[in-house]
Amino acid sequence: MEINLIIFGKLIDITGSAAMTIKNVADTAQLNEQLHSRYPALSSYPYVIAVEQEIVHANTPLKNKDTVALLPPYAGG
Amino acid sequence: MQEKKPKNIFVQGAIAASFIADSIQKHKSQTGIGGHSIFLGQVRADIMGEKKVASIEYTAYEEMALEIMHIIREAIFAKYPLTCLHVHHSLGNIAAGEICLFVFASSAHRKAAMDACGETVERLKAELPIWGKELFEDETYKWKENI
Repeated sequence: MEINLIIFGKLIDITGSAAMTIKNVADTAQLNEQLHSRYPALSSYPYVIAVEQEIVHANTPLKNKDTVALLPPYAGG
Repeated sequence: MQEKKPKNIFVQGAIAASFIADSIQKHKSQTGIGGHSIFLGQVRADIMGEKKVASIEYTAYEEMALEIMHIIREAIFAKYPLTCLHVHHSLGNIAAGEICLFVFASSAHRKAAMDACGETVERLKAELPIWGKELFEDETYKWKENI
C-alpha cells in the first residue's frame, strides 16, 4: 500500500521535494502523523489535504495509489 | 445535462495587453452584449523592509484548480444573466508591472457584468489552489499571502 503525495507552495521548502511516495498509511491521520515525525516544521504550518482532488477535513481512508495533495493557504490572482 | 471538460484558464507567462485587446475585439459580433466588465490583476512591486518584489512565480495544482473553476463558472452563470465569462491566470515568473489575471464578464446590461466579474475574482482568489512566490531583487523570496 502506497500513496502519491504532491506538495505545493511554501510546504515544498519544508519537505525539500514537490512529490514523494508514502508507504503504509491507511488514512489521512496516519499520513499526517508520519509527515509530522519526518518534517516537524509541518505541524506548525497551516495546510489542508486533498485526496484525489477533493479537500478532506475529517480523517479519511486512503486507497493504494491515491494521489494526496498538501495545500498551503492559496495566493492566486 | 452533459459533462463539459473544464476550460483551461492557465497561461504560461504574463498576459499581454494585445491578448486583452483581441479578446475585446472578438465580442464585436455578439451584439446582444451591452456591457463588459474586466478585471486585470497586476504584479505589484511590494516593498518589505529594504526589499522590493521584482516578480512573482506562480504555481498551481492545475487539474484541481480547473475543476473548481468549472464549479465557480457554473455557479456564476446560474446567478447572473451573462453572455460569457472568460478567466485567464498566469503561471511561471511574472515581472512586477505585468498582468497575471484577466477576468472578463459580458452581459446585456452592466450590473450583471460588473457583479459577476467581481464575484468571480473574489471566489477564484479564495478557492483556487494557486500559489505565488514573491522574488525580491536580491534573489531571496517570500511566499505570497492573500489578504
